[in-house]
Amino acid sequence: MSLFAFLGTLEIGFIYGLVAMGVYLTFRILDFPDLTVDGSFTLGAAVTATLIVLGYNPYLSTLLGTLAAASAGIVTAWLNLRFNILHLLASILTMTALYTINLRVMGKPNVALIMEPTMLTPFEAFGIPAMYMKVIFVAFCAVIGGLLVAWFLNTQYGLAMRAVGSNKRMAQANGIVVNEKVYVGLALSNGLVGLAGALFAQTNGFADSTMGIGTIVVGLAAVIIGESLFATRSILVIVMSCIVGSILYRVAVSMALNADFLGFQASDLNLLTAVLVALALVFPKLRREWKAKKAKGERV
Amino acid sequence: MIRCENLHVTFNHGLPTEKLALRGVDLTIPSGEFVTVIGSNGAGKSTLLNTIAGDIESTRGKILFADRDVTHLPATGRTKDIARVFQDPLAGTCGNLTVEENMALAYGRGKRGSLSFALNDNLRKIFKEQLSRLNLGLENRLSAEMGLLSGGQRQSVSLLMSALQPSSILLLDEHTAALDPKTAALIMDITSQIIKEKQLTVMMVTHSMRQALDHGSRTIMLHEGKIIFDLSGDKRAGYDVKDLLQLFAQARNDGEELDDDKLLLGE
Repeated sequence: MSLFAFLGTLEIGFIYGLVAMGVYLTFRILDFPDLTVDGSFTLGAAVTATLIVLGYNPYLSTLLGTLAAASAGIVTAWLNLRFNILHLLASILTMTALYTINLRVMGKPNVALIMEPTMLTPFEAFGIPAMYMKVIFVAFCAVIGGLLVAWFLNTQYGLAMRAVGSNKRMAQANGIVVNEKVYVGLALSNGLVGLAGALFAQTNGFADSTMGIGTIVVGLAAVIIGESLFATRSILVIVMSCIVGSILYRVAVSMALNADFLGFQASDLNLLTAVLVALALVFPKLRREWKAKKAKGERV
Repeated sequence: MIRCENLHVTFNHGLPTEKLALRGVDLTIPSGEFVTVIGSNGAGKSTLLNTIAGDIESTRGKILFADRDVTHLPATGRTKDIARVFQDPLAGTCGNLTVEENMALAYGRGKRGSLSFALNDNLRKIFKEQLSRLNLGLENRLSAEMGLLSGGQRQSVSLLMSALQPSSILLLDEHTAALDPKTAALIMDITSQIIKEKQLTVMMVTHSMRQALDHGSRTIMLHEGKIIFDLSGDKRAGYDVKDLLQLFAQARNDGEELDDDKLLLGE
């Protein structure tokens, strides 16, 4: 892999680290499998890109893009909590609706940001080559994001949210308002994903209506890889392992795509991702079974 | 003090499966009284407890804590006054949080969660102290995952958790039923200690008539959603399981035999 390709891999890895944290919040903390992220990643990018093109400050645009994505999470939570629509289905409905909304926001299938100012523009004056600058910037965003998420989950409020995902009845008996925690959790999760979308649009120079497809699977892959690397109970380590998992996933994918003898094409990405996630999901179970079998064999 | 006035609860109202779970319960429990509640399956014991806790909304009637009407307050709004321990040892704690995290949750019961850290050294000290009362060695396993503990250990921790935050009412729903006799005895022992220490108003649902007579100062029996007898004072002191059964038969007054073995068995 060339240095340039490696930096690109790192950059995407850090950005999707934020996605992984969002997915971790819903899938692991709240036990609420939320597929809204496929739409909210694009929504964050679309709102941010559109506002930047309209001449708004990139930082303000990013903030608004993040908030828009967070509100998509609230819609999913509302469908689920208020009307008892199954969480998966509720999130699929929001995701489907977002596809149209994203097109409407942009007014066309994609928005180019090549010539526009971005969050990175103020740092160009430092004279660091753009390809390094981008990586440093997104790494900074991902790490700060991770620290904030880890801090949040260790607060009284965050602990209450974890209790909601773990045992609703116990949470309620201890005076925790369950629904409120789900709303806040989904807003946070989708906000993180929307922020990732906004960063992606600004570092890659475009927002596209199809850019969010597969976000959930990539995020989940990063979470699972991170979990299998670090067996720990420390929230900080778990959250940071989302970033590590995301980067490793990108490295694995780009190596597979670049290895000529495997004969993959760039368009094979989604199949590779699905296979990788399936393997990561299956592996812990298989390992347990092998171990159980081995133990049996020894006894006989 | 807990007061229930003409409490009715109907499940599946208007449907063929309609069930009148509570049919006019009038009950006043003065502060500091320990009431044991018995009755056969489906008598309404758990419904009564869950209605007082706010999990179930009453169809008719009133519930008051002291002089405060809480009839329409949801369960989370009542947790300032009420602590609970469930029958299922897994229900009272979060299996994938640590012992100290579970205790921190109970420590914050009835308060709004703030954005300050949920755990600190001061709290850990308090938790350690509390856990050492159990003599189970749990004081050295603060950061162990709750799911790794045995059912009895988890129930013991649930019990301690119920007393971490001052409350006036303790609701125990067959909290020793799922445990082996030795652990059940230990839990009952600590329960009595905590109740005495904190001077709590207690309702304990139990399947065992023996346990109902041995603990607390008053026993009520529910049948088909009504209180069929209410024993306290000297009269209760002289009673044995046999007398309770007789009383039950009299109250029923229709010659039907008590068919719930669980009531007779149990220690």
